[in-house]
Amino acid sequence: MVSKEVELLNKLGFHMRPAQLFMEKVNEYNSTVLVSRDGNEKIDASSILGLLTLGIEKGDKFIIEVSGGDEVEALGGLLELVNSKFGED
Amino acid sequence: MNISELMQGKMISVDLDASTRDDCIEKLIQNMMAEGYVTDMAAYREAVYEREGKGTTGVGFGFAIPHGKSSGIKKAGLAFAHLKTPIEWNSFDGKPVSIVFLIGVPDKDTGNEHLKILIALSKQIMHEDFQNKIFNAKTNEEVLEILEAI
Repeated sequence: MVSKEVELLNKLGFHMRPAQLFMEKVNEYNSTVLVSRDGNEKIDASSILGLLTLGIEKGDKFIIEVSGGDEVEALGGLLELVNSKFGED
Repeated sequence: MNISELMQGKMISVDLDASTRDDCIEKLIQNMMAEGYVTDMAAYREAVYEREGKGTTGVGFGFAIPHGKSSGIKKAGLAFAHLKTPIEWNSFDGKPVSIVFLIGVPDKDTGNEHLKILIALSKQIMHEDFQNKIFNAKTNEEVLEILEAI
């Protein structure tokens, strides 16, 4: 398992479009991805609704936890997506 | 957040007759317009379709949450529809859509109200109990009662 804490950078927060892009990125890999914040319940990142319920806003930090055969690549891909602000402002 | 406060009279339709996604969106926009939430229908419509163009808003379980942030919206509002017959929405789980929540927020959404509404709705839609209650609500009052209680 690999994990990393990241900060959400895009202005509008983790709304539906970022959640969708995140989920699509997760599906590019075979690993299982869990997302959590503030020590709360870990959410399966293959569910768009689950991701939305996290309510992550700009500046919030959250943890991405990846387990599986391609976990390093998956975590790298997801970090890149978050840091790219999902192509937003 | 009390999302029932974002809805007024005509913005709740428990038996909406819509044959396609676009037909449904159009009718819900008109309902928001009728209640004074929309000042520029063309601008708001464009925002909603631009969002749909980026990827489906069919979140699964038979629910869709189309949304748009626009200068054509006077104040944050939420329109609800339970469709007479389910329609195709290219949903994440492939299921046709029966329940639609259309969100409209003003361009200058300083409090990130859009995200708050999405979170509030998502939290409920994940629960089977909420899904069943909303599917079985027969009147506007019942819909409001369910949404007030969340």
